[in-house]
Amino acid sequence: MTKDKIKQAYVEYILEKGTQPESIYAFCKKLKIKEAAFYEEYTSFPQIESEVWKEYFLDTITSAQNEEVYGTYSVREKLLAFFYTWVEVLKQNRSYILKAYEGFQKPIYAKRNVQLSEFKIAFYDYINELVLEARETKEIEQRPIPQLMQRYPDLFWAKTLFILDFWINDTSKSFEKTDTMIEKSVNTAFDLLGHSPLDSLLDLGKFLFQNRRA
Amino acid sequence: MNSQDKIPTSKVARATQFVKAGVKVGGNYIKHYSKKILDPSLSKDELHKDNAADVYETLSNLKGSALKVAQMMSMDKNLLPRAYTDKFAMSQYSAPPLSSPLVIKTFRQYFGKSPSEMFDKFDLKAENAASIGQVHMAHKDGKKLAVKIQYPGVAESISSDLKMARPLAVQLLKLNDAEIDRYFKEVEERLLEESNYDLELKRSIEITNACAHIPDLFFPKYYPEYSSNRILTMDWLEGLHLKEFLATNPSQEVRNKIGQALWDFYDYQMHTLRMIHADPHPGNFLMTNDGRLGILDFGCIKVIPDDYYQNYFALMNPDTLEDDARIQKIFWDLDFLLKEDSAKEQAFFSDIFKQMIRLLGRPFDSHTFDFGAEGYVDEIYKFLDYIANMPELKNSNSARGSQHGLYVNRTYFGLYTILNDLKANIRTTKPDWVTPKHLKA
Repeated sequence: MTKDKIKQAYVEYILEKGTQPESIYAFCKKLKIKEAAFYEEYTSFPQIESEVWKEYFLDTITSAQNEEVYGTYSVREKLLAFFYTWVEVLKQNRSYILKAYEGFQKPIYAKRNVQLSEFKIAFYDYINELVLEARETKEIEQRPIPQLMQRYPDLFWAKTLFILDFWINDTSKSFEKTDTMIEKSVNTAFDLLGHSPLDSLLDLGKFLFQNRRA
Repeated sequence: MNSQDKIPTSKVARATQFVKAGVKVGGNYIKHYSKKILDPSLSKDELHKDNAADVYETLSNLKGSALKVAQMMSMDKNLLPRAYTDKFAMSQYSAPPLSSPLVIKTFRQYFGKSPSEMFDKFDLKAENAASIGQVHMAHKDGKKLAVKIQYPGVAESISSDLKMARPLAVQLLKLNDAEIDRYFKEVEERLLEESNYDLELKRSIEITNACAHIPDLFFPKYYPEYSSNRILTMDWLEGLHLKEFLATNPSQEVRNKIGQALWDFYDYQMHTLRMIHADPHPGNFLMTNDGRLGILDFGCIKVIPDDYYQNYFALMNPDTLEDDARIQKIFWDLDFLLKEDSAKEQAFFSDIFKQMIRLLGRPFDSHTFDFGAEGYVDEIYKFLDYIANMPELKNSNSARGSQHGLYVNRTYFGLYTILNDLKANIRTTKPDWVTPKHLKA
């Protein structure tokens, strides 16, 4: 019994029964494997769930990068492409996600959910790289407050969870409203993080401060 | 807003104001556009953008049905004060063009493929933005194509947008809430149709096939296999927009030829098909130097109901104006006169409407008509201004005129204005029953 098969069986169980298996023991019995074999791969159900979310993420990245224009995108567009692809991946698994969502602490963008921990780690690797790239392309303005700059990945993570939450509650046809949300919120984020009037104002303030009359 | 007790005396005026609005709707942005021709500072813009000739350009910040509503409510500054235009501009529709990833996503959603897989070449940067979508250029098998993509959520937002525009219209046009209903319903129906690309595809194919025999017209071919609910693919038409075309100093002969094609196109749609392309703004027409006219965008189609058709064109026949009993009946049928009107009001309004009809029907009163002749279109605008400022009308607060007139008037005004800009002298063909007796002799 491989890791993937256990995961597959778990997702199917949730889809069909609508709840988690009673215990790992019962689940293993149904799968006709030894409990010890289970523990070789996973230690708990939430860990399987965590793996599932990470898989969605990795599928998304692969699929987004397969689009030949991806390489020519700006960081803003890369992130947009990521979110659009992600919600497509989620759409294929919506039934499972709606069930899994029931077990989450809400609001999900404010609470810590262990089921998302693997996804979070992978996402941070990804977003850190994008933020670095954006600083090189000047899409993100270097601001003189490191504490703020360090928080950027957190902001994008919160945005991701926010989009997830929005999508779960979206009732529009083919989730068009989620698309609009993604478009507007990513654009807004980059407009705020990029060079803005505020930066000019800070710059002016700094200049005036340095040249103030004694 | 006027209070209820005022209604009996001033009902009359509102109607005419709305007639005016309907009539002006089509004409105004075209008028606005012609003003732009004269304004050199605007023509610079034009060089930068292919589509600056398009009047939508002035409004490119406005998107979605708010833009459409703004147009419907007439872009004339008098009717739509600056403050309101700004408010519209600041609404949620001042969105930037769709990002490339969203364009790709939309394709994947409807075709399961990205545009680069579907076409030999696809330009991810939009060529131009229209009110509810944007247009991309694509190539397939050596053909240049135009691919129109609709913004997500447009269809869903139309009804709520109209609700937003409603109090504005009530205020501007001094109509009461109940009366504005049928006009809004009419606008809403058209807008919903416009956001339905499946329907647009069907109608485009239908009408372009039906009109294929008309000389000097050309239409894009539509591609159902590359079209869907939110994506519409057609041939990329070559040609110049009105403003660019006029800048090439076309000969009178060529201008007449194009004007004639335009007239024939509308004549055939109106009298034979009974459904018309109801969005005759210059951006939808492409002209060539050998005198041919290309027609785009069959999103806004008005199907003309039979009884409205009979009444409206009976009015266009100058003979009808001689028959007072008949014309009174038509005025009642078309809701120009209302049962609350006093005898004095009835006489007053009948007189105004007759003047208006004489003016609007003038091209129907001869075999040929020179739209280039000084002042015909100006005269119409002046007359509309004149009636709008009549105190009797200003204080009136009831809606007059059939809701079908909204789009029919807009269409004829657009048509007249373009013919005027072309300075075309054309044969104003019409069906036999609309032709006055003196022309038949």
